Amino acid sequence: MDAEELELFAKSLEHATARHTGAALDAALAELGWGDAFAADPRAAVATLFELQGATATTSGALDVVLAVALGLDPTADGDGDLGVVLPALGASEPPGRVEGDRLVVLGLGTADLARRSGVLVVTAAAASAVGGAGGLGALVLDPADLDLRTAEGIDPRLGLITVAADLAASPASSRTRVGGIAGGTPGGTPDWEAALDAGRRALAHELVGASRTMLELARQHALERIQFGRPIAQFQAVRHKLAESLVAIEAADGALAAAWEDPSPTASAIAKAIAGRSARTVARHAQQVLAGIGFTTEHPLHLYVRRVLVLDRLLGGAGALTRELGDDLLASRSLPAMLPL
Amino acid sequence: MDLSEFRAALDRWLDDNAAGLAPTDEDRATLDAQMAHLSEVKRRAYDAGWMRWGWPERVGGLGGTNLLRAYLGEALTARNLVEPGIYSMTEVLAPTMIDYARPELAAEMVPRLLRGDETWCQGFSEPGTGSNLASLACRATRTDDGWVVNGQKVWTSLAQYAERCVLLTRTGTPESAHRGITALFVDMDTPGITVRPIETMHGLAEFSEVFFDDAAVPLDRTLGEEGQGWAVAMDLLPYERSTALWHRGAYLYRRLEQFLADVPPGAVTPAAVGEVFQQLYAFRARSRATQRRLAVGEKLGAETSIDKILLATAEQAVFDLITDGLATDVLLGDDARSARLRSEALYSRAATIYGGSSEIQRNIVARRLLDLGADR
Repeated sequence: MDAEELELFAKSLEHATARHTGAALDAALAELGWGDAFAADPRAAVATLFELQGATATTSGALDVVLAVALGLDPTADGDGDLGVVLPALGASEPPGRVEGDRLVVLGLGTADLARRSGVLVVTAAAASAVGGAGGLGALVLDPADLDLRTAEGIDPRLGLITVAADLAASPASSRTRVGGIAGGTPGGTPDWEAALDAGRRALAHELVGASRTMLELARQHALERIQFGRPIAQFQAVRHKLAESLVAIEAADGALAAAWEDPSPTASAIAKAIAGRSARTVARHAQQVLAGIGFTTEHPLHLYVRRVLVLDRLLGGAGALTRELGDDLLASRSLPAMLPL
Repeated sequence: MDLSEFRAALDRWLDDNAAGLAPTDEDRATLDAQMAHLSEVKRRAYDAGWMRWGWPERVGGLGGTNLLRAYLGEALTARNLVEPGIYSMTEVLAPTMIDYARPELAAEMVPRLLRGDETWCQGFSEPGTGSNLASLACRATRTDDGWVVNGQKVWTSLAQYAERCVLLTRTGTPESAHRGITALFVDMDTPGITVRPIETMHGLAEFSEVFFDDAAVPLDRTLGEEGQGWAVAMDLLPYERSTALWHRGAYLYRRLEQFLADVPPGAVTPAAVGEVFQQLYAFRARSRATQRRLAVGEKLGAETSIDKILLATAEQAVFDLITDGLATDVLLGDDARSARLRSEALYSRAATIYGGSSEIQRNIVARRLLDLGADR
């Protein structure tokens, strides 16, 4: 997209996320052609939409599209355009499905619209000896009716996350044998789970950055308006420095995220997601403190974002786990990955 | 020359000349030896052309963008050929000379700095003027043919080695604050200038007190116009927070890598290692974007305060990790390697203080980037 197209696209997405969330936002995204934009310019489409979703605390099924495409599906193909993708359990990065003998056990999460999808894609792991390709990974599309889907209200009911569970025969009658373009469309091919994690983590990191920027702006506005001791609290250095630290945290995440697009690698997107998650929680803490009493009420929107980032941080691997894994890798290899050349 | 061409050719030259460029333990042992070795590396790199790329032709350069300078400094520091702090002074002072000195003066002087013939220093801070730079008091009084300087500077890095100084002086009334400041380019052998090095906790007397007692400075050594010194300083600071920081990041990258090779199993947690690397990575991503903005001619400003905060935080995190993981060496070791680690770990404490403390950087972020208004 050129600069003018991008601006128009961003404007229409801004309009959509300001008015809709959930299924209504999905409908609005379909109408304004977000899927086509994503196919043409993934970075612009993902960055713009997910930052806006974060900024407005709205939600959509766009993460399913991002994951499905990374797994090799063609969302424009017949029937594949409406697939949901089961996410790993909270905090986890492993595929949500597990083939145990002749059983298929699924334990994971889904976005709000999962129950309304025509099919649900489950990536499965199995013992290396089992059928399912190298690394024991497989994928199949199930009828949502065969899964135990429950809305997980939890700390962030508006996110509408769904817990997904199932214990089925390994090849349930409802499953489709052809799974889009995965491994060239061969049944039983190996899905690229790493690529799905990569793409999903970048999208979620953008959402965390968007939410962080809104929290900072809410706190900033309050600091400028709230008068104590005869002056706006924005004049007190303790307050100013919390807000400054928040911006530093956001820009650190933003920079790592840009680098994850420019020099893509599994390490780069895991780092971006970890930094975005940690930064969002830093910003949430500072914004909460600056907004003080009003920010603790449901009369002020801050709580929506505080809730949201706690959950987003833990989708597709939380900051803590991703950071430990990175440290494990560095200590094992005793070297640093060559990265970010000028 | 573009960056990839430059990178390949420079890497080849550094490989071929590694033996002649690498410092010995003696070259690293004292600041005198480090400075002598630095001059030698700069001279060789200048004579081979590397040190001239990225600088304009009118000051003896060969043209090309700042990315070439950024990569040269990265390669020299990452290969342990120079110490980043003393190497990168060039990145702070040469751009200021190019922007503000008379063209003939810049053309005469800048090549001496690039070639390692001279060391320059930056006379900004004073005993009564640290974070509050606009309150500086070192006075320059107009005479018929120039200025007479009286007063004192402090924390002046490398002043005891310097042939020249970019000096901020008070030329307006004491109340004129940032409006009454003038920048001068001063010969350090001018009668009336006394330099006293200050011993530091990391063992290298890196900075000095500088006393001015009726030191005469010719009028044509004024940088910019009289009263324009604040603008000179404000233009200099983003340079201090861009290419010089990129070099420092490359050095920290190298230090962390060496640490991973040396650390005993179980001495540090994976979480600690992962987080330190992420901090360094976040700085590098940010600093790379800054380098690229500079390369397309963008003017840098207050946003470079974020680069400085990220670098300072990462530097202390790297050396906190090293101090934890190699505690016996850092705290008790008597060999040259341990002494060096100890010195570097101690020096990292200054990262949140020099070049504008982290508090001042946060003030800049609050006022200029978050538009929170004045703080009183």
